[in-house]
Amino acid sequence: MSLMNKSKRSRTNRAALLSAVFTLLLAGCASDVNPRVATRPNNDAALTGDLPVNPLQWKVITSAIDKQNSTMYTLFGNDVAVQYARTHAQHDYPAGSTLSLVTWSQQEDPRWFGGNIPSAPKSVEFVAVALGPDKKPTYVYQEFEGSPLKKTSSQESTAPDGRSAYLVNQRAAVMP
Amino acid sequence: MAKPPLRSSVTFLIILGVLFLGMQFLRPELTNPPVKADLQAPPEVKQILRNSCYNCHSNETRLPWYDKVVPAYWIVTSDVTTARQHLNFSELGSLPPAAQKAKLYEAVNQIQLGAMPLPAYTKVHPEATVTEAQLKVLRDYLAPASLTTPAETATANEQYGKWLPNGTNLTQTHLSPNGVPFLPDYKNWKAISSTDRFDNHTMREILGNDIAIKAIAENHINPWPDGTVLAKVTWFQQPDDKGFVHAGAFQQVELMERDSRKYAATGNWGYGRWRGTELKPYGNDAKFDAECVGCHTPVKKNDYVYTMPIAGQGKGQSQ
Repeated sequence: MSLMNKSKRSRTNRAALLSAVFTLLLAGCASDVNPRVATRPNNDAALTGDLPVNPLQWKVITSAIDKQNSTMYTLFGNDVAVQYARTHAQHDYPAGSTLSLVTWSQQEDPRWFGGNIPSAPKSVEFVAVALGPDKKPTYVYQEFEGSPLKKTSSQESTAPDGRSAYLVNQRAAVMP
Repeated sequence: MAKPPLRSSVTFLIILGVLFLGMQFLRPELTNPPVKADLQAPPEVKQILRNSCYNCHSNETRLPWYDKVVPAYWIVTSDVTTARQHLNFSELGSLPPAAQKAKLYEAVNQIQLGAMPLPAYTKVHPEATVTEAQLKVLRDYLAPASLTTPAETATANEQYGKWLPNGTNLTQTHLSPNGVPFLPDYKNWKAISSTDRFDNHTMREILGNDIAIKAIAENHINPWPDGTVLAKVTWFQQPDDKGFVHAGAFQQVELMERDSRKYAATGNWGYGRWRGTELKPYGNDAKFDAECVGCHTPVKKNDYVYTMPIAGQGKGQSQ
């Protein structure tokens, strides 16, 4: 009886010891990766909400930083707009062009002290150039704000004004 | 049960002892060359660097007795030689101020990411560990995000004026010295992130080819699939009179191309950098990329990639 108990106990002990070792090994592996290095996407900066299109699917025209407000911008364009911006110093985008300015608040890059990266999006603006019935261009401006992004502004004009002028007047960043 | 004869184990120990003593005479030379241009920094910063870095990264190496015993001594000698090649605080003062700052930022990042001091080193020398409080002292010393000095607007304008009508006019193949090809279509790839680098007054867009974008959408980014290419496009920060910073003159484009066969020797990634609008390949010889690998090693466990791609790739229509 006592013998059986002993062997049972030793088996239990061995199992406990093994699981302890295993746990330690696992913990060792997990703590091995510095949390700054651990693989993850930047979920904070995702454009969530009801946008008509995802500007991240377009091409980059230029970017900017507002140091005082700690925000960063990227101006995207669809193919028509990008083709025009990269070959013209003027700002008369042809019909079919759409520009989109995404504004993100900034966060410190956890993997590089000395750099800031996008955090939550603050706004996404669009300017679409279309031909009106009189064959003159119309500029349709839309703005989305908040989290998730919701439409807060929509205007149409025959000439770029205010924010739509701001978007249209940016010059393309040099990309040889 | 047969026990091994006592005599043979004694003989064995004696042989080991003799070998150990004999090994002590195989001593590669480790000298302290004169300190030419020691880094100038506030005393509280210097004290941390001296305590945690100088034993390998300076000409003031002071080895405790247990590091002088072979085979530990061999490891230490080799580590110190490599360390001095990469960063030597005794010579850092001779570099231009911006280059000194860049080295210090890299050092702080190596510490912050747990790559330095080498974990194997701090196990034996726990006193060299950089504490959170010490890391803060180093960060605060570098932190003042000095507003960018107005860059030469004229340079940026001239560059833009020349680029606009011509686009890319490559007359050569533009291979990086290590064989990584330049891919002129990088500018049409999708953005995966951007960075505001206040440490060197640049700003970057990080772009990915279709394979990269698909990998992000499917969350397969460690490891990234072979065929992935990431591009980092860098411009100098160009502040306007309202403190607003625009993308100024183009500085360079860098590519990381993943191919586990072609680039097995450099962690499965091929690195290339092309400078200026003439896209001059960076590096003097095929081995130049040791610099790239060195800087990316702290993020080895993230498949050597620093960029955290913005989530939501592949969602939403493009037109």
